[in-house]
Amino acid sequence: MSADQDPKDILKNMPYEPMQAKIIESHPLTEWERFFRIKLDNKKELGHMPGQFVQVSLFGQGEAPISICSSPTEKGFFDLTVRRIDSGSVTPALHRLKKGDVVGIRGPFGSSFPLDKMQGNDILIVAGGLGIVPLRSLIHYILDKRKDFGQVHILCGCKTPKDMLYGDEISTWEKRADISFQCTVDRADPDWKGNVGLITGLIPGVTLSLKKTYAVVVGPPVMYKFVIIELIKKNIPENQIIVSLERKMRCGLGKCGHCQIRNVYVCQKGPVFTLVDLKEMEGECHEGECRAK
Amino acid sequence: MKHGIILKSDMDQWFDSLKKRGKVYGPKKKESAFVFGLVHAFKEMSLSYIPTILPPKKYYLPPKESLFKFKIKPYEAAKATTAFEEFILFGVHTCDIAGIQCMDVIFNENPADPNYLSRKEKITIIGIECLDYCDSYATCASVGTHIHKGGYDIMLTDLGTAYLVHINSEKGEHLIKGKKYIRELDLETRKKWDKIIEEKNKKFKNEFKAELPEVSKVFEEGFFSPVWEDVGKRCVGCTNCTAVCPTCYCFDVIDDVSLNLSDGERSRVWSYCQMDDFARVATGEDFRPGRGPRQRHRYFRKFKYSVLKYNKYFCTGCGRCTRTCMAKISLKETVNGLLDEKRGKG
Amino acid sequence: MPKSKPRVAFFEFTDCEGCQLQVANLGLSLLELTKVVDIVNFREIMSEQGKNYDVLVVEGSISSKHDEERLRAIAAKAKVIVALGACATTGGVNNLKNLKSLEEQKKSVYGNVIDPVPDALPTRAIDEIVKVDYYIHGCPIYGPEFLKVMECILLGKPYKVPQYPVCVECKQNENICVYEKGLFCLGPVTRAGCNSWLPNYGNVCVGCRGLIDNPAANAQKDILEKYGLTVDEILEKFSLYCAGKKDRAKYEKEIKK
Repeated sequence: MSADQDPKDILKNMPYEPMQAKIIESHPLTEWERFFRIKLDNKKELGHMPGQFVQVSLFGQGEAPISICSSPTEKGFFDLTVRRIDSGSVTPALHRLKKGDVVGIRGPFGSSFPLDKMQGNDILIVAGGLGIVPLRSLIHYILDKRKDFGQVHILCGCKTPKDMLYGDEISTWEKRADISFQCTVDRADPDWKGNVGLITGLIPGVTLSLKKTYAVVVGPPVMYKFVIIELIKKNIPENQIIVSLERKMRCGLGKCGHCQIRNVYVCQKGPVFTLVDLKEMEGECHEGECRAK
Repeated sequence: MKHGIILKSDMDQWFDSLKKRGKVYGPKKKESAFVFGLVHAFKEMSLSYIPTILPPKKYYLPPKESLFKFKIKPYEAAKATTAFEEFILFGVHTCDIAGIQCMDVIFNENPADPNYLSRKEKITIIGIECLDYCDSYATCASVGTHIHKGGYDIMLTDLGTAYLVHINSEKGEHLIKGKKYIRELDLETRKKWDKIIEEKNKKFKNEFKAELPEVSKVFEEGFFSPVWEDVGKRCVGCTNCTAVCPTCYCFDVIDDVSLNLSDGERSRVWSYCQMDDFARVATGEDFRPGRGPRQRHRYFRKFKYSVLKYNKYFCTGCGRCTRTCMAKISLKETVNGLLDEKRGKG
Repeated sequence: MPKSKPRVAFFEFTDCEGCQLQVANLGLSLLELTKVVDIVNFREIMSEQGKNYDVLVVEGSISSKHDEERLRAIAAKAKVIVALGACATTGGVNNLKNLKSLEEQKKSVYGNVIDPVPDALPTRAIDEIVKVDYYIHGCPIYGPEFLKVMECILLGKPYKVPQYPVCVECKQNENICVYEKGLFCLGPVTRAGCNSWLPNYGNVCVGCRGLIDNPAANAQKDILEKYGLTVDEILEKFSLYCAGKKDRAKYEKEIKK
């Protein structure tokens, strides 16, 4: 059996070879997370949508899937936030790189937040811990196209004030009159003046208009269950509750098998799913990700 | 010519003519088992064999396969190797040909895989038809792979003193062109062939207690079945079932760097869903913990997920997973267990 | 290429030095390696002894007070510590000593003479004393894995010891499973990385690399019982190489149920 495509075209398509790119800016955000601004050498835009990820490649070290945290409305570069995991190869090596260093990029991969459906509706964003990373892309997008959306509520939580990402940006979000922004920490330090407690505690206080609301939730697996319970209490329909799942994504091409949940390849059909999608994956979702039965 | 006849006494010279086209790999005896290996002469092969330890997959999806070469300093990614040698797989069972057809579906799917497709283009497949069960582990009749359905260049059927040569492609045609000792099928041999096939068909019977659509249905309903718990308790996690499967294609990607610390290579290596860290992410979370769910996943990839996605069963009935399992987890028993359970309830 | 070559020193404790011999036997690859590292201490291949080093390779387990002090002293000077071979990574066969009390063992070995090793201690893997960055398991180590670990050290990345069992490699080598020959093999519960060295030559795996993190000890027990082995016999097989603290914890509770 021969291929559907012309063999010559297939040979041109090298899905495993990364594009060459340069770090044009890099700074630490916390003790563990570092920010990178990256530009593709071919001058082309990455062409991603909020919610998608790339495979960052360091030759000799390997590849790691990383969420894109800038919006496609920002041109000429894209941003990544990388947590350093010392048992791994890629992220510690990435943290050692400086401005001007070369990295390989494959992607963008995966599904994005359903912006076409979300437009014209109210948006509730719930970010736990590192979940703010892909959501920063969405928040930037919404702020850049603010008129396309209804009310926008952002809830953000992390363990301690020291773990807070994008602190400078967050203080500008807090000041904006056209969005409502709330932040909470599990454990405060003496300088912390904001909320203390789990992010689920903030949800009942959000006043949602009668218009359709899309809730976008990204956080650690354990968070989903409790947040989703609160969202359902708010009468948000299941197809309007959007989550993003973490899985082991090696190839990004729906082949290598590591990210599979039942019959779904998360690298292609995900990482962004609706709660309706999650129900179809029952039994292989993390207990926290699937709604409590 | 669509059907030819070659006397067994002429196989040596035909085989020698094949070697001119490229390397020939065929089934060879290894202690109590069989393996595919490089063959220099026809007599080295054992054409009456139980499925080899590894399927011929090792030739078209090698255990470790270079994706591309790189240099760290200065940064450089060389183009992937796409020039592969021509080779012939000789004596492939119909179940393994079905396995190759499954792989074709996977690697042709967008984004198509250039490594696989380039390699695959260079293969010539000469199959051999099974006229009886190889052993009691095979379940080929349940999925219908005891009968060939394309995917080969030439198929041989043992007619006693001669082989029937079914030519199924231009490549196959090329291999018999000008060979005077391969003659056209005559009416008398045709009758003999028909009789042999009639005998064959009497021997193969669905090994499952139901037909495939019902099997697919019990998988649909059996995700939370206690069958998986039982299988999980017995499983040692040795990964052999996935290692020997002709339709398992999961892989990992690794980098190797030479001691000059600059020249390296990125490769894909076989990786199995039965491995302990297969679904574990960098932060430590394991998204498919436990041997029960892992075994269930393996079965679902053969009988459900591939059906949903490609309308194709990814079990070829070759029996390797059962044959190799030291815990004696049997595919036949597992599937029949699901069927029994449903019937018991009904 | 790094500006100055990292210096590598080999030291040995309670062992047979067979793992260093494996390194010495690497031949051309060892010469290649010396292009990127300076070997400053390796008594099997050189007489010079460098005092300063970056990478410390330790063979052997720690079995006396003196060993312990010496290990701490040499480790203090190193940037990277590599445990070489089963004795260093898990305690290896030296763990057999710990199956009885020190007094009993001394008596059975030395009889009633004056104690020749008054500072002897129960056997320990080196990571029970110092922090280990890289593990090269095996008795002896598998040469290509040593080179892979060196590559990782030089690239500054961790080396991930395979978490899958020896069966993975054995099957890829298309060996006939020794269980089919009625033999008892520790392959299904032993860490891979040796390219199934023993089964390739028709022998059974003896578990020298230690157990995988989550061995299915209970399922394994069922199988072994099918092959006519008792729990005690199984534990005895484990005890040759897997009697160290960490390995015992992986199987004892489950298998003795």
